[in-house]
Amino acid sequence: MSIVSRSQFNKHLTQPKVLSWLSVVTGLVLWEVGGRFLAPNSFFLATPLQALEAALQLYRVGELQQHIWVSFQEFILGYLIAAVSGVAIGLLITMSRITSSIMNPWIDGLYATPIIAIAPLVILWFGIGIWSKVFVVFSVVVFPVIINTEAGIRNTDRSLIEAVRSFGATRSQIFFKVSLPSSLSYILAGLRIGIGRGLIGVVVGEMFGARAGLGFLILQSAEVFNMPRLFAGVLLLAIAGIAMTAAFHALERSLVPWRRDWT
Amino acid sequence: MKTPQLVVDNLSKRFGELVALDRVNLNVEKGAFVSLVGPSGCGKTTLLRIIDGLDFPDEGSCLLNGELISGPGSNRGFVFQADCLLPWRNIWQNVKIGQEVIRKRTPQDDAQCQALIDLVGLAGFEKYYPWQISGGMRQRANLARALAIDPDLLLMDEPFSALDAQTREIMQTELMRIWTVGQKTVLFVTHQIDEAVYLSDYVVVLGRRPGRIREIVTIDLERPRPLKIKRSPEFGAYVDKIWGLIENEVRASLAEELDNKNLPTS
Repeated sequence: MSIVSRSQFNKHLTQPKVLSWLSVVTGLVLWEVGGRFLAPNSFFLATPLQALEAALQLYRVGELQQHIWVSFQEFILGYLIAAVSGVAIGLLITMSRITSSIMNPWIDGLYATPIIAIAPLVILWFGIGIWSKVFVVFSVVVFPVIINTEAGIRNTDRSLIEAVRSFGATRSQIFFKVSLPSSLSYILAGLRIGIGRGLIGVVVGEMFGARAGLGFLILQSAEVFNMPRLFAGVLLLAIAGIAMTAAFHALERSLVPWRRDWT
Repeated sequence: MKTPQLVVDNLSKRFGELVALDRVNLNVEKGAFVSLVGPSGCGKTTLLRIIDGLDFPDEGSCLLNGELISGPGSNRGFVFQADCLLPWRNIWQNVKIGQEVIRKRTPQDDAQCQALIDLVGLAGFEKYYPWQISGGMRQRANLARALAIDPDLLLMDEPFSALDAQTREIMQTELMRIWTVGQKTVLFVTHQIDEAVYLSDYVVVLGRRPGRIREIVTIDLERPRPLKIKRSPEFGAYVDKIWGLIENEVRASLAEELDNKNLPTS
């Protein structure tokens, strides 16, 4: 290899994206090789290839699609309801000191409470259909959205408000022209945090009572020590989380182009 | 004497124990360029904010065109010290926000905004966001934004203080050019005495604790004023005179600030 091409190779190698992919691939290879030596009977640990094989097998019989579809519905319904009502409640709280005084102790308290712990109770209330899981997802997603929306409105730069107020702007003009656009990046960050929490909500909800779904698949596989299947479920959830978070980052970048700290 | 456009009548403002402004009286006629200078804590920014309607006096009042000022209004434009363009709006959208707030915009308003953007030298930068342009350009946009509502009175609160010395001098000549075109009445707050002398018809010198007017210095330098006028003896004499009026108080306020900083550790 000539000197020039080697330095070019190094340049490509040190690009952040290339490094990230390289890191993931290396990790998977180590897992694959290590797994085959340490747990040859795939009783305690499955390797990525075994998980992939199990996933393909489930896909062929049509079971995988069904699990994904059920979990997807639970997640998306809970998430959307939480996003809409979370933003609305967050905005409502900032309207007056009275509403914020009444609501804030509950919101702060419930945000800090591991609501996941009452998932079995939720199953009792709503049954083992999708609505119990929708509720669990909703209840874990809604609080970061409320809190970030409120923080976004409250952290609006005073000097920007004053600049618009100096033209004689009304309260609602200040809200729509300054506070709301200014809080957009906070709101989006809250929604992004909600993705990970919502996925946990789906899985935990399904573990306490469900007929289908990725969490159900994981639990069922664990009970029969079918590690390849279990890891197929876990990996699918991981991929879903990574993909949705990445998509959200892209959305944030296009909706909040004035933020300079995007990398 | 002509009836003044702006009348500040026996104005007082307190912040708790601190008397920021004590019975201030000031008349400004239409089209005049008036600077307010004084040591920090003399209440010059407070006075400007009260005239804009962002703050309220404890006693006394301000009249603009014979009408009592009771809140912000479209006959005054405020240029802030910090750069406070809305970061999610490009220059064009920032310049038109004042018009949006006070009325339904018309095609004439668009023409007006474009004329002002051209006037302040930002033609071609309409689509740029504030973070994409320099500090000097942002203050040009701020000025255009304040002028876009066609105010009778332009209030400027240390608008060039964040700029480097060279940009500052350029902006001073630019402001002179724009003022000559528009013939607005301007109240200009600054720390820089030479800036005040260079720009103004009158320099209002304020004292501190309590904030009150010490003297109004008329600047008899012919216009237009080239930058090199700053090196003329007459110019130097005005600067010396004003500096002489506030020197002791500036030293006192500096000493006080140092004391306050030392207090927690001593």
